[in-house]
Amino acid sequence: MEKRGDPLFSILLIKVDNYMEEKNNFVVAADLIMGVLLILFGGSVVRASLKMKVYKTFLDAPGFFPLLLGIIFIILGTIIAVSAIRRNGYTQMKRIFTRISFTELFKSIRFRRVTALVALMVLYIFILIGRVHFALATAIYLFLTLFYLKSTTIIKIIIISIITSLAISGVFTMFFHIPLP
Amino acid sequence: MLEMFLQESTLFWTSFSSTLTLLNLTVIMVAVVLGIIIGAIPGLTATMALALLINLTYGVEFDVAISFLLGIYVGAIMGGCYSAIMINIPGTPAAAATALDGFILAKQGKGGLAIGTGVISSFMGMLVGIVMLVFLTPFLYKIALKFGQWEFFLLAVFGVMICGNLSTGTYPIKGWIVGFLGFFTAMIGLDQIYAFPRFTFGYLQLKGGISLIPALIGVFGISEILIVLQEQIPYKILGKIGRIVPSWKAIRSLIPTAIRSGLIGVGIGAVPGAGEDIGAWVAYDIGKRRSKQGAKYGTGCLEGVAAAETANNAVIGGAMIPLLTLAIPGSPPSAMFLAAIWLHGVRPGPMLPIEHPGFLYLIASTIFLASVFMLIYGLLLAKPMATILKIKREVLMPIILPLTVIGAFAGGMRSFDIKVAFAFGIFGYILRQLDYPMAPLVLGIILGPLADISFRQALMQSRGSLIPLLGRPIGLILLAAILLIIYSGIRRTLEYSREQHRPNTLKPE
Repeated sequence: MEKRGDPLFSILLIKVDNYMEEKNNFVVAADLIMGVLLILFGGSVVRASLKMKVYKTFLDAPGFFPLLLGIIFIILGTIIAVSAIRRNGYTQMKRIFTRISFTELFKSIRFRRVTALVALMVLYIFILIGRVHFALATAIYLFLTLFYLKSTTIIKIIIISIITSLAISGVFTMFFHIPLP
Repeated sequence: MLEMFLQESTLFWTSFSSTLTLLNLTVIMVAVVLGIIIGAIPGLTATMALALLINLTYGVEFDVAISFLLGIYVGAIMGGCYSAIMINIPGTPAAAATALDGFILAKQGKGGLAIGTGVISSFMGMLVGIVMLVFLTPFLYKIALKFGQWEFFLLAVFGVMICGNLSTGTYPIKGWIVGFLGFFTAMIGLDQIYAFPRFTFGYLQLKGGISLIPALIGVFGISEILIVLQEQIPYKILGKIGRIVPSWKAIRSLIPTAIRSGLIGVGIGAVPGAGEDIGAWVAYDIGKRRSKQGAKYGTGCLEGVAAAETANNAVIGGAMIPLLTLAIPGSPPSAMFLAAIWLHGVRPGPMLPIEHPGFLYLIASTIFLASVFMLIYGLLLAKPMATILKIKREVLMPIILPLTVIGAFAGGMRSFDIKVAFAFGIFGYILRQLDYPMAPLVLGIILGPLADISFRQALMQSRGSLIPLLGRPIGLILLAAILLIIYSGIRRTLEYSREQHRPNTLKPE
């Protein structure tokens, strides 16, 4: 059990505190950006709704409900932006949008992992599926992803990729009678 | 009254006996075991599993599909307690409160007892949920028959707003934003009255709208893969878990907690979109404040485990009440279940008992049988689960992606739906990183068409006047509830801003 007097525990607490504070600062800046984006989005929804055809009256027009949604987005966007500004959102945004912060972000393991995983998903969904057989596409995707994540030994990765892709393809086509993409 | 009782009893027994076929029992049993395993593995949630499996049940008989999905649902909600107790990581969000006492008990060598208590409490929660489902739903059907266009519109708005309020805690406005974004998503495609294309930008595929199931798969499947894999969190399974089944005396002492937490779970479940995790937290919190053993909560108390586990499983029964009577899901997994029964052509709502008499009892019977299997296999799987939990998430999560791809594709056989799932996955991931909840988004997508059409039709009937609403008591109650939610939500948002503002101004640079 950790003890409060333990220096290691104190370091851990400071690290957790710093992480939480960093996350809060990031979320505040993101709230400000989200508020502005929501206002712009709401404005464009209002504009598009007003351009929609009116058949009998505006009350049952296709654009009536989206128009109200657009107005709601503008109101909610304003509230969240104002709330973020009150929480020093502008200062936090300026602090985050610096070269040092971006360098730190690009260097972070989390960012690199997510970027790589999304890239592998794009490769699988947009490039492999439809061009090669589903089982082969799945085997390639699984091999690359498991290899990147260093999930297990290379031999096991190859075995898992092949068996899983064949099993998934077989089960869905033979048992569920679902055509594969 | 007697005639109604006899009629309902006949329907109940007919439905119950129809579920007792060998095929059905086997399907429920397999689904419950699968659900328990899914729920136990951190990263695989009940919502994700149901989202992936909905389309796969399209080709099978309706009764079998219902049994399979409900079995998964019941098993997965309980399964979360294993990992919460053994490794302090809840297998599903519903088991988060269980970890508070469960993991401490495991460290004391009483992990088995904590699991046993969790399984038995989950069963008791299921029983409370089933009883309330069977007795309350017929009354709510009667109330729901009085619903007109205004009530349906207000109910859809109320659903999204209360869900937004409950799922964000301190900052409800984020829940509302996501809920209304869900409404907007539902607007994409052909308008329901004039078939006018809205927000399609000339793309033919968008005219059909954003399909619900690919969007759900994206939000709960793909984004979850990214959330789990974005960082490596190693965990260690504690050694021996010891005895599993608690003594009869210990079980008896948990009954008052089970009844209280079960009723709380049902209540929370009946609130649109609130969900199992909120049910567990509320029951745990009330138990801590009200129970004689409240002071011991959080220190390794079996009653704490029981409070959370009873409530999260009772939510299942509660969530079915608005789903069956008004087609409004009470929790994210039940939203998946709603999508599944829509897929099979069953439209829940006030007309359900007329169109499909006995459907309520079919659901209740299936949940009951799933609960019995959950109790048996929940206790039997306690020891082997340590082995299952050793499977690395880095191996398991990548395998989910091909399943999401098939799940998204299977419904409409369109590769466009796979891209929709991917887009919603990325969108969901970003929003979750910024503390936006996902439940209101799902509810918004489900309720959007209802809100749109009932609002426009209500206004058409009243020729643009709001005065007819004043003569509708249910509508007025809903309107008052919405105004109350807006008031409390804005107040909480302002308080949050003030609290967050204070330390920053005091802190030296």
